[in-house]
Amino acid sequence: DEIGLIPCPEARYNRSPIVLVENKLGVESWCVKFLLPYVHNKLLLYRQRKQWLNKDELIDITCTLLLLNPDFTTAWNVRKELILSGTLNPLKDLHLGKLALTKFPKSPETWIHRRWVLQQLIQENSLPSLATKGNLGAAPVERIHRLVQEEMNVCSEAAGRYPSNYNAWSHRIWVLQHLAKLTVKVLLDELSSTKFWVSMHVSDHSGFHYRQFLLNSLIRRTVTDNNILVQNQKVNEQTPSLQKEEESAGTEAACAEEQSVDLPRRLDEEMELCSELIDNYPGHETLWCHSDESLNNSHHSTAASHMAQAMDVDGLNESSSKQGYTQETKRLKRAPVQDSLGPEMEYRFVDKVLSTCRDVDQARFATAYRKWLVTFLGQ
Amino acid sequence: MHVGGEVDVRSAYCAASVASLTNILTPALFAGTAEWIARCQNWEGGIGGVPGMEAHGGYTFCGVAALVILKQEHLLNLRSLLHWVTGRQMRFEGGFQGRCNKLVDGCYSFWQAGLLPLLHRALHARGDPALSMAHWMFDQLALQEYILLCCQCPAGGLLDKPGKSRDFYHTCYCLSGLAIAQHFGSGELHNEVVLGIPENCLQATHPVYNIAPEKVARAVMHFLQYPVPSLDPA
Repeated sequence: DEIGLIPCPEARYNRSPIVLVENKLGVESWCVKFLLPYVHNKLLLYRQRKQWLNKDELIDITCTLLLLNPDFTTAWNVRKELILSGTLNPLKDLHLGKLALTKFPKSPETWIHRRWVLQQLIQENSLPSLATKGNLGAAPVERIHRLVQEEMNVCSEAAGRYPSNYNAWSHRIWVLQHLAKLTVKVLLDELSSTKFWVSMHVSDHSGFHYRQFLLNSLIRRTVTDNNILVQNQKVNEQTPSLQKEEESAGTEAACAEEQSVDLPRRLDEEMELCSELIDNYPGHETLWCHSDESLNNSHHSTAASHMAQAMDVDGLNESSSKQGYTQETKRLKRAPVQDSLGPEMEYRFVDKVLSTCRDVDQARFATAYRKWLVTFLGQ
Repeated sequence: MHVGGEVDVRSAYCAASVASLTNILTPALFAGTAEWIARCQNWEGGIGGVPGMEAHGGYTFCGVAALVILKQEHLLNLRSLLHWVTGRQMRFEGGFQGRCNKLVDGCYSFWQAGLLPLLHRALHARGDPALSMAHWMFDQLALQEYILLCCQCPAGGLLDKPGKSRDFYHTCYCLSGLAIAQHFGSGELHNEVVLGIPENCLQATHPVYNIAPEKVARAVMHFLQYPVPSLDPA
């Protein structure tokens, strides 16, 4: 489940350089300068059609190569061909990639190949006849869910192995967008499962950016679902049909469930988390940036949730609900947003930090934040 | 980036750069591109690899430069972009970081500092009265200090930060950043700010293409002689 290089400049004993201890694979460093050019050369000769390699040899060679240097695109591409021809199980590449990432957590090519493999697997998923290949036994939804969870794990591990691992966090976002379809459930699950991680990595800007992404997606989701709710009301009233009723009933149920997301509370919790971490770990710019943006979101989503509540009422009562919605939106956009407790608390928090902190950077961030608060709320 | 490869902001820049220099740029070729790049700008003010990603110096330069080529910089929130990039110059080292809370790196001397000439130009086109006529909106001398004092390899070549080894990539972008820091504007408004002896002064570089401005002019003139190729078979 992990690979590594064992620093061992000379072969002292006449034995294999491969070491396997407790499921961890080690390679003594002296052999790399022989092994890598050898396999590299073999693959190139194959590609140049100067020397044939059969499928098993190809699989072995590319595997070896990629564990030594996972940014070797050609090797991944050979494996793509093997997968497309049905000779290689795509799950093997997920495992190979996972292993490579234990030593090379940033490796761009590994992440890129991983996304290609996942896309292949999703396509496979949508064709039920191919699902009985025996790769994955369970039902499609369950399979996707397991894939998503596994990807979250891989990303988390890689993020822990290299600070602010852009590629790992980008992949995590991609998986949520393309495999998990940004459902409310998955967004909330991810918020809770990353909370501890970011508390342990307070300078990891990528980690906090991920949380911003989750919160923003939740906000967008709430607004979209409310739109659907209103539109379905309208459709219902005009052309009642069994199918449409079912659809809108389903969406309504989903929306009702999702409206219990309570966005403002989530955002407040995020602000609380920020404040707590800022207090405990002075001088981390990431935390202040995150605070800025969370407050920003808090402000805007207060407006969004007022809109949502207003639409709720209109949608149920008026027959010309669509017209009502647009009028209501316009009215809300013109009206000033109510002051929530948020900004005042923030002033108090910042002033407290300024008066008690001894860290120079912390003081600087706090001062900047205060200036920003004044500008932002002065608008 | 290549057939079956990643899609991100870099390829948009590469394509726009090549197409504009060789006079094959058509609206059809870049239909929707500008809007897509604008979606890559996030709440931080910088630009990520694809929409939704964290703001990153390299991608931000590619995005902004591509939009400048496509004449669509106004699609961005220039104010938040300016706020973000100026925040990336390190107050101690003088060089730039690629993302918030990360370490300084010589190559960002170009990717980040190079944004300021582009922003200056875009804001000037809007008639912003507060723009300087002599300096970019970053500490030009501090950046030069970082590059000259910390990023040179004694055996030649330049690097990320002290302790790292030299490579062509860092050599290229440290030098490009140095050129940006030394030259403000062009023509009548040209203002040189050179740290150290006059011999330190490099030739100016074009802030969009990062090749010599004369080369850009010559390339454009040359290819303008040829008609824009059409996609229809002859």
